[in-house]
Amino acid sequence: MGADDESLSRRVLREGKTKAGLVLVLVLVLFSAAGPLVSSHDPFASDFTFGISKEQTPLGPSALHWLGTDRIYRDELVRLALGGRLSLAIGLGATAIATAVGALVGMIAGFFEGSVVDVVLMRIVDVILAFPFLLLVMTLGVVFERTTPLTILFTLGLTGWLGTARIVRAKTIGIRSLDFVQAARALGQSTPRLIWLHVVPNVSPLLLVLGTMSVAQMIIAESVLSYLGAGISPPTPTWGHMLFEGQDYYQAAPWILLAPAVTILASVLGFNLLGEGLRDAIEPKR
Amino acid sequence: MRSSRSADRSLSPLAGPTRGLFGALVLGAFLTLGCDASLAAPMPAAHDGEATPVSGGVLHLSSFADIRAFDPANISDGLVVELLELVFAGLVNYDDEGKVVPDLAESFRMSDDGRSYTFTLHQGIHFHSGEELTAADVKRSVERALHPDTPNPMSSFFSMIEGYKELQSKASEVLSGVRVQGKYLVSFHLTEPDATFLPLLAMHTLRPVCPNGGARYSDTWHACGAGPFMLPEKGWDRGREINLVRHPGYFRPGLPHLDGVSMTFFVNFMTEKYKLARGEIDILREFQQPDLVRFQSDPRWLPFGQYEADKQINGEMMNTEMPPFDNVELRRAVASAIDREHYRLLKATALRSATQPIPPAVPFHENDWDCQKYDVAAALDHMKKAGYPYDPATRTGGYPDPIPYTLYQQGLSSYTAQVLEQDLAKIGIRIQMRVVNYPTYLALIGRRKTTAFAPAGWNQDFPDPSDFTDTLFHSRAINDEDSSNYAFYASKTADDLMDRAKHELDPGRRATLYHDIQKQICDDAPWAFTHYYRFYDVHQPYVKNYRTHPVWTHDVKFSYLDRAGEGTRASLSRLGLAPAAILPRWP
Repeated sequence: MGADDESLSRRVLREGKTKAGLVLVLVLVLFSAAGPLVSSHDPFASDFTFGISKEQTPLGPSALHWLGTDRIYRDELVRLALGGRLSLAIGLGATAIATAVGALVGMIAGFFEGSVVDVVLMRIVDVILAFPFLLLVMTLGVVFERTTPLTILFTLGLTGWLGTARIVRAKTIGIRSLDFVQAARALGQSTPRLIWLHVVPNVSPLLLVLGTMSVAQMIIAESVLSYLGAGISPPTPTWGHMLFEGQDYYQAAPWILLAPAVTILASVLGFNLLGEGLRDAIEPKR
Repeated sequence: MRSSRSADRSLSPLAGPTRGLFGALVLGAFLTLGCDASLAAPMPAAHDGEATPVSGGVLHLSSFADIRAFDPANISDGLVVELLELVFAGLVNYDDEGKVVPDLAESFRMSDDGRSYTFTLHQGIHFHSGEELTAADVKRSVERALHPDTPNPMSSFFSMIEGYKELQSKASEVLSGVRVQGKYLVSFHLTEPDATFLPLLAMHTLRPVCPNGGARYSDTWHACGAGPFMLPEKGWDRGREINLVRHPGYFRPGLPHLDGVSMTFFVNFMTEKYKLARGEIDILREFQQPDLVRFQSDPRWLPFGQYEADKQINGEMMNTEMPPFDNVELRRAVASAIDREHYRLLKATALRSATQPIPPAVPFHENDWDCQKYDVAAALDHMKKAGYPYDPATRTGGYPDPIPYTLYQQGLSSYTAQVLEQDLAKIGIRIQMRVVNYPTYLALIGRRKTTAFAPAGWNQDFPDPSDFTDTLFHSRAINDEDSSNYAFYASKTADDLMDRAKHELDPGRRATLYHDIQKQICDDAPWAFTHYYRFYDVHQPYVKNYRTHPVWTHDVKFSYLDRAGEGTRASLSRLGLAPAAILPRWP
């Protein structure tokens, strides 16, 4: 196992994509974690004295406000960092939930392929897949009176596992028929133990790849929801809501739009590169 | 694995939005960097100043909104008012200074007791359908508009007319308070003197409609009146545009100058700006704030821009029936804690700090009177009296729980809410925002004991202070559902003052009464009044005899186009109408 691990980690780090993705993600994580701590600006306080231009519009980038001020004259940079915490936390958290649920459903369905359990689980997946995703998420959002970060996290997590379930199911079907699994079964190992000892370790690399790429999709999904007004209530900043607030000012104060747009792009790019690098490292023959 | 990679994408419910937003972000970045932010030059007029009016041409307008109905008896949105003003003429109208003056009526007089008004019609006025307008048409149109089966949201405004109750209860099929005294003579009789009657009559609701409009409302009727423009067959393409053409038999000789007026619906602000630059629309009144700043700071456009009248009040509504705002001291604390200047700065080109419920363009607004004002020390004192003292130095005390605050995403409210949150934090009040869509918001704030705290606004229906005070603060305006008194504020003192003011015809005494009414409301603070909203518009220099209007959005009835090459035939061609199609049934 040790030799395999070393080989895998070397392969992972050898991938240019992985390195680029890792750097992007780490920079964003560092920026989001440290930004609000080191900034002297309150992310929730408007600066009606120095954060406003002489035309009484948001101030552009300056020594005092490096990325300018937003629609109500708050420091754009510190809000971007704080928004990053939420957007990244939601992306990672929702992915964790979606991956866990998807893996569980996929492994059970795959292991019992053709049984009633498999049929029921897969039809549930089909039904949810047939429902427009945004409509589903927005409906769930309306059910909760006030949208909080936790609401979004669970809503995305509990609706984003479908693809993972199908892929894991297919992988599990393959693993189930392998000789060593058949042998373990013949030796009387219980089904949960078979899954835990033989299926989980073999689908884990796949889950790592799917999960990494899913983070990017979750960040985008959160941004879409916030952009459409179904996201987290103000004044809590998220990148999607900042994008929404900047759209009207895209000519006069482009920094309000560009700042969250660039960070969303960078985060999606980072996680996608990381995911692709991992996939290439795990399955080098492709 | 390659196949599973593609399966991964196709199966993921997030794949669509991901790709969509990704594309939008990239496109947005290019647009942001690539768009030209400068304004196009105004298109010059053929002649300087207001020269001899030129006949012909079509005036093109647009809006981000749409109209739902086109009938004076069913005015269901603000935009249609602009168009009704062009198609339907009334017995009286508002002049350029907002005074009620005769229009279809040659003259009118009020009886000594203030309960009767008699109107003498011009003779020889013709409807768009060709028939002559008579006093019987006036009575028929009034009864059609006020009949209980007509979905007329303004019907109750006319409850002062004798026989209104009987008509509404269907005890009578006619309105006894409107009497035909002769072919051209009609009188209105009121149950008691009412200062709002004439201002209301000058609105569109009771304006005469063609005989083909019948005695009862029908939502399939093709709009037809006696105004300067008429709606041709197929002139209204619902959800897209409306094209009005000149009424050749309009009773004022030589008017209107324009061949037609066209309005396109559902055009976003940015597109409207580019349409103005290309000469595809002639007047622009919907702006994003940065564009408005540009127009106002561009000396080429400055002479062609103007503010419309301030006739909208906005504020923070506090439900007086619900905790914590059943405590008047807490309401006063909120009213004193809000820095109106902060609100104004959110859209400095359009907002003005509000100090009282009656907006500046409405009679009896008092300039230089801070009926409510920003005073943190006073706000902290009110918090103490309310039983929730707060120490700003240690940030201790204040109201213990976050107060739910219901708002909607569109417009300014999500920004004003965030400023409000900052201001209230200074006196120890926290709010918890709940964002809903606009129809939900409207339903919630009008429902009893449902919404404690919310932004609220009111736009003038008719230019009388009672439209604001009585509608928003009279206890009669309280309903369990669809209450227009959003704060559910009931004060016997204020009610008595409002009733007296409504029936007082002497302007001096009315002014005193409205001062007292405003003072009472400001002190009881069912709303914290925050800002007035005023629109700005710009027009191309070739649009002549154009002005904003104190009551109507703007007055284009008698405007004309002084633009080279804009002849009648070309204009009609742009409308897609042959002359024969618009010169109809008309003698």
